[in-house]
Amino acid sequence: MSERMEWRDLSLLLVLLALGVFFGLLAPQYLSARNLSMLTIEFAITSVLSLGMLLVILPGHIDLSAGSGVGLIGGVTAVLIMRGELPASVAMALGIGLALLLWRLQGFLIVSQSIPAFIITLGGLLAWKGLFWLVIRNQTVPVSAGGHANLLSVLTTTYLPPGPSYALIGLVIALLGLFSLRGHRQAAQEAVRQGEPVPDGELPFLRWLVAAQALALLGLTCGQFRGLPLPLLILAMVAVLVQILTKHTRLGRALYAIGGNEEAAVLSGIPVGKVVVTAYTLLGALVGLTGLLQTAYAGASTTTVGELMELDAVAACVIGGCSLRGGRGSVAGVLLGSLVMACLLSGMSLLAVPPEARFVARGLTLGLAAWLDVRLSKMSKGSLA
Amino acid sequence: MTDTILSLHGVVKRFSGIYALRGVDFALQRGEIHALCGENGAGKSTLIKILSGVHPHGSFEGEYLLDGQPAAFASVRDSQARGLSVIYQELPLVEEMSVAANIFLGAEPRRPGPWPLSLLIDAQSIRRQARSLLARFGILLDPDRKVSSLGAGQKQLVEIARALRNRSRVLILDEPTAALTERESEALLSLLSELRREGQSILYISHRLDEVMAIADHITVLRDGQSVFSAPASQTTQPLLVQKMVGRALGDLFPPRPPSEPNPAPLLTVSGLSVAESRGGSCRLSDVSLTLHAGEIVGIYGLLGAGRSELLLHLFGAWGERRAGSVQLLGTEHTPDGPADSIAAGLLMVSEDRRRFGLVMDESIRFNLTLSSLAALLDQGLINRRREEQVTHHMAKRLRVKAASLEQPVRTLSGGNQQKVVLGKSLLCQPRVILLDEPTRGVDVGAKQEIYALLSELRREGLGVLMVSSDLPELLGMSDRVLVLSDGTLTANLTAKQATPEALLQAALAKTVEQPVVNREAQ
Repeated sequence: MSERMEWRDLSLLLVLLALGVFFGLLAPQYLSARNLSMLTIEFAITSVLSLGMLLVILPGHIDLSAGSGVGLIGGVTAVLIMRGELPASVAMALGIGLALLLWRLQGFLIVSQSIPAFIITLGGLLAWKGLFWLVIRNQTVPVSAGGHANLLSVLTTTYLPPGPSYALIGLVIALLGLFSLRGHRQAAQEAVRQGEPVPDGELPFLRWLVAAQALALLGLTCGQFRGLPLPLLILAMVAVLVQILTKHTRLGRALYAIGGNEEAAVLSGIPVGKVVVTAYTLLGALVGLTGLLQTAYAGASTTTVGELMELDAVAACVIGGCSLRGGRGSVAGVLLGSLVMACLLSGMSLLAVPPEARFVARGLTLGLAAWLDVRLSKMSKGSLA
Repeated sequence: MTDTILSLHGVVKRFSGIYALRGVDFALQRGEIHALCGENGAGKSTLIKILSGVHPHGSFEGEYLLDGQPAAFASVRDSQARGLSVIYQELPLVEEMSVAANIFLGAEPRRPGPWPLSLLIDAQSIRRQARSLLARFGILLDPDRKVSSLGAGQKQLVEIARALRNRSRVLILDEPTAALTERESEALLSLLSELRREGQSILYISHRLDEVMAIADHITVLRDGQSVFSAPASQTTQPLLVQKMVGRALGDLFPPRPPSEPNPAPLLTVSGLSVAESRGGSCRLSDVSLTLHAGEIVGIYGLLGAGRSELLLHLFGAWGERRAGSVQLLGTEHTPDGPADSIAAGLLMVSEDRRRFGLVMDESIRFNLTLSSLAALLDQGLINRRREEQVTHHMAKRLRVKAASLEQPVRTLSGGNQQKVVLGKSLLCQPRVILLDEPTRGVDVGAKQEIYALLSELRREGLGVLMVSSDLPELLGMSDRVLVLSDGTLTANLTAKQATPEALLQAALAKTVEQPVVNREAQ
């Protein structure tokens, strides 16, 4: 299992490298600090939604309405600010509240009526889109009046200046090192107590080294252009929260158990219905957050905001090693998968690839990822039989 | 008459360096029933996979001969074309299709006529042929019945009919009676004897030694991937087989029963319980009353469909609508809304199908063990990983779970070790009453003995155990009392002394109408 994950992560890194080289050669400005900074913002936005998607994919469900939801929540918030003349913070809170409500409703329908999530959220895809266009009256609603900054409009234009950015990155690297060291010490103590061989510290160290290098690279790149973008900091918080939720709480265990074997989960005393509704509600919060980010990034709410984002999120999950049947997936995998998607999308838009070819490329990527997944899981099953 | 149809010589199979088979020899003669016995993990499944071409030619060492020629199977398709059929434990039948359609699945006769017509399936012919096939072997099954409405025993018969339709020369049955009741097993065994009379060669894999002794002409024992013993059935005994399977003489399988003491207050009292499957349905359980005391193991016997599992599932809060009666658990009324309520109240259940209801197969031993008791491991809302590891380690040690690491997925464990994990999951919830449904199904002899020892220990600690089992020796060997369910009602409440196989069977048949599954005279 772990071997498989490593293979997958390695192959993803190679894909990333290939993408970088490919686009870098075709369009040298792809690797410019400015573009990489933009790419970071796009990556952060897709990732927030993908992490939400992870929460419902783990128990074996799906959400096809996320993209429409992103548009709707952004649209509602923008309209509340522009036409309702509410302060941005209040409008944003209302937007997120609406998302919580709508996704709780979808989760409730899926659980209580036992209708497949696919159908309910397909209905959501259409309904939220219609509602979205109704709310913005098919017009373009800017996120702030007359170019004045407000809390919504600055979401994607704020940067932590390079100096503090470097400090923050350094701090995170140091903290990661400390955690890694502490974890290893504890494992070693436990092994001694159980009379087992003390585990090697090499692997945790290597993992930390790779993470530190990636972070340092990120910091240096962003430092060349204004610093760390706010969406990235938001993503970091979301990722940490989702990681804790999935790996260290009962809810997280329940998500994996339901996806792995729902009947066993029920008989183990897990309130399956409640867990699934909670997962959808949490996804709703992240859809809302993505809606704010994506609309702010676009500068205005227009009918195309959020379009097809649900598929990018699902693709990021699948590329990152989630099983669509549930029970398998991780935050790190989803982040990697989302990075691949972001690199691909940003590269294509930089090269001004026509939209028809972009669709084909996205489709092929998804197909390729699914094929790879099936191949790899066959390989790992074969070695166990 | 005794010429070899299929034989293996020095077969060795490795999976990434680990030996699954380290030298297997055996020969199946034409027209004989050859039994293959061995504990779980002895290599039986691997052997079947080699015979049937799942592990293709070239992926193992040694010789595999069919009709004296090397059987170079590249796939399962090849082995089927050469007349080999494997009937697996988990039956790959299409539930929503009829018996006839399943028998002819993938080989449907087409309609006569010109091209576009000939693409259509000839449903009439399928039914006619299925009917005559079933009749020929005296299998009383309606070819039009949906498979989903059949019991496990009848499904097995459909599988066998499918193999016979295929004109299989060698039938390979993998633990065919594991999911069957005594009577269904008997029906199956008599069908097999019938097939042998017609010259069918049968390889029979089982660890129910009484069956093996009753039916096999020749017995081969596998242990640790090697064939360690092979002899005509007439020249061997059951204890000898057990010894060969385990590799040592096995002590008494069942721990001694403690002297019965005056019982303290009852843990669980059920009175006049009637339960229906759903709101509109009729009662599947009617007027069931029973008492379970601390330090007592009460066995429940009955035929398949008598309502044994339903009773346990209802007490656990996972099945049915209560129509009448009451359940008292530790002196308070027990009306669980779901399993979570029962678990909180100290009532735990281990269901009969661990793969389906008990385990998350791809997750680790640790994950599965603590799944029901995570609340006890919380530290400010988060799971305390260190405490979890300690608890897991302790329980795995107590149950003697054999695994390289507790992070190993349970999928990779043997049946016996998987069952221990399911038991351990319940024990971690601090139970007062445990409901066990077929606690040793598909578990090898060694692990069985360990599970019995554990149950005995739980009895000493004052737990109440309610145990459903189709395994008569187990039921008689472990229970302090045996209750018999027949068609949803209790028909007997016997002490350990009163409980004999005859008495149990009589009570089990008390209210049901005889419904023969196999009857050759019928036609």
